[in-house]
Amino acid sequence: MSRRGIALAVTGLLVLTACGGGHAASGDGKQLTVVMWGGDDQKKAVAAYVEPWAKANGVTVKQDSPTDYAKFRAQVESKKVSWGVVEVEPNFAVTACENGWAVKLDPAKVDMSKVKKELVSECAAPLLEYAFTIAYNTKAYSAENHPKTWAEFFDTAKFPGKRGFWKYATGAMFEAALLADGVPADQLYPLDIDRAFKKLDTIKKDIVFYETGEQQQQLVSSGEVPLIQAWNGRIFAAAEDGQPVANEWNQHLLSYDQVVIPAGYRDTALAQEWLNNFLADAKGQADYANQSAYAPVTPEALQYVQPDVRRELPTEHEDQRAAIVDYTYWAEHYDEVTERLNEWMAQ
Amino acid sequence: MTGEAVTGRRLPDGWGFLVLPLVAFLLVVFVHPLISVLARSLSDPEPGLGNYAAFFDSPVYLDVLVNTFVVAGLVTLVTLVLGFPYAYLMTLATPFWRGVLMAAVLVPFWTSLLVRTFAWVLILRDTGVVNEVIGALGGQPVPLLRNLAGVLIGMVQVMLPFAVLPIYATMRGVDRRLLQAAEGLGARPAFAFWRVYAPLTLPGVAAATLLVFVSSLGFYVTPALLGGPQNVMIGELIVQQLSGVLRWGFASALAVILLVVTGVLLLLAARVVDLRRMIGGGR
Repeated sequence: MSRRGIALAVTGLLVLTACGGGHAASGDGKQLTVVMWGGDDQKKAVAAYVEPWAKANGVTVKQDSPTDYAKFRAQVESKKVSWGVVEVEPNFAVTACENGWAVKLDPAKVDMSKVKKELVSECAAPLLEYAFTIAYNTKAYSAENHPKTWAEFFDTAKFPGKRGFWKYATGAMFEAALLADGVPADQLYPLDIDRAFKKLDTIKKDIVFYETGEQQQQLVSSGEVPLIQAWNGRIFAAAEDGQPVANEWNQHLLSYDQVVIPAGYRDTALAQEWLNNFLADAKGQADYANQSAYAPVTPEALQYVQPDVRRELPTEHEDQRAAIVDYTYWAEHYDEVTERLNEWMAQ
Repeated sequence: MTGEAVTGRRLPDGWGFLVLPLVAFLLVVFVHPLISVLARSLSDPEPGLGNYAAFFDSPVYLDVLVNTFVVAGLVTLVTLVLGFPYAYLMTLATPFWRGVLMAAVLVPFWTSLLVRTFAWVLILRDTGVVNEVIGALGGQPVPLLRNLAGVLIGMVQVMLPFAVLPIYATMRGVDRRLLQAAEGLGARPAFAFWRVYAPLTLPGVAAATLLVFVSSLGFYVTPALLGGPQNVMIGELIVQQLSGVLRWGFASALAVILLVVTGVLLLLAARVVDLRRMIGGGR
């Protein structure tokens, strides 16, 4: 046993040392962990505007998904933060900022002058824009004859069939209900939730709630729910896939995702460096927009977006916009409206 | 011999200490988190019983809790009704067909829960396979999705292996010659089956009941995707409070309530049936 055994042991030790050395080396190198909602979307986004920057700067990109606010909070509270830049909904960005869970962005390091000021908050920069549109099944309703306003969307006598909404309070169904009930778009916020519920009551038996983007596509493509309040990019993707669906842009509600950096992340400077680079990276943003039909946040990027995709971006339909979803309102009222929504749904 | 060693009151020499790693493991991964959950439910956002008061103040949460137990009970019932004859068939089948039957139960078990749930959506929706067949035969579409039917179908399929396997394991240990003996003494086949065979399979049935019922209580993906707003189960509510609204204290209180109610129900069940026998401790 002896000689071979010793040889083996020595080799083993060498291998171990080598591994250890390797570890130390990569530990010294710069590393950024990117967290988004996962799936294909995340792959496209990372390839479009994280990898090129990382390659040029010798940074190793790590990924995790999906964003989970409970994990976010748990990492910060336990002071074991592994997430670097995290895609979140803007109301969470406000909550995280107020509670000290997210880093306040340094204006000297992250230049936000190029993006819409409505999409920026103290701890967060915008990542992409999307719209809640009136999406319809083109076999059930034609391009000429389909609901073009939220009032028509709520009119089940004129346009029969089930209606789809996202099952969360921030799903813009309250905004849609109030617009349908005649509230002027510039007076939406603060939302009159009682009035919205009254309007929703009128079509309650026809409402189907969905949970995920896949469900959204499935429901409207199959014709089961011919009219649905949807994310423009999902409908565009389904239409590209040959499904009979289309977006009606009139009275759409603009929404957006943001990026935040969890408090206590070990390389906040690097995370901000990427963020700053991203906001200036017109080509990277356009590259992602071309694949996803979610709009870039830097106007300069639009010139690099293919014309057929560009037509499908919210940035091209600003004249048909009802409002931008006000996430400072939602940060404050999300809990209480969620509770009422639960109650209302269960009745 | 072994029976004596196991049931003997005093621990035989040093071997008892072998259990220590397991105890340590359970303390770290089970008892400690459980205590922190309990502590959080009483302290977040402020010390006191506020989270529990919030639960009992709103009729919705109670409804969700009741609904959770009703659904778990129905799932258990349907699973047993399907699983018992299936397991019996497995004991009668030739080895080849037994393998096929076993595979039919286990293969879905190894498939991702999310994939299976979405597959059910495709099959059960108004424009899905089932309703298209019904429509082609001239019938009205049957709502099978976003209601109790959808939840039951999805959950029963997930739970079936947990019923079939323990029942089959027990049935395999039952001596079929007892049936012959009963029939030899003049019992009709059905009578022999129900009076002699079935009672001997009870430990398996009881284990299956327990496994299926308790696991069903914690479901949330399946009811979230196949059920409607009226079929929310408490697991879904806990996730929503934990990840969506970030009310961790309230989420912890929900978890504690679920645990306590489940415990009480099991205790009540123990008064009717011998729990120790159910989990296989009996001889």
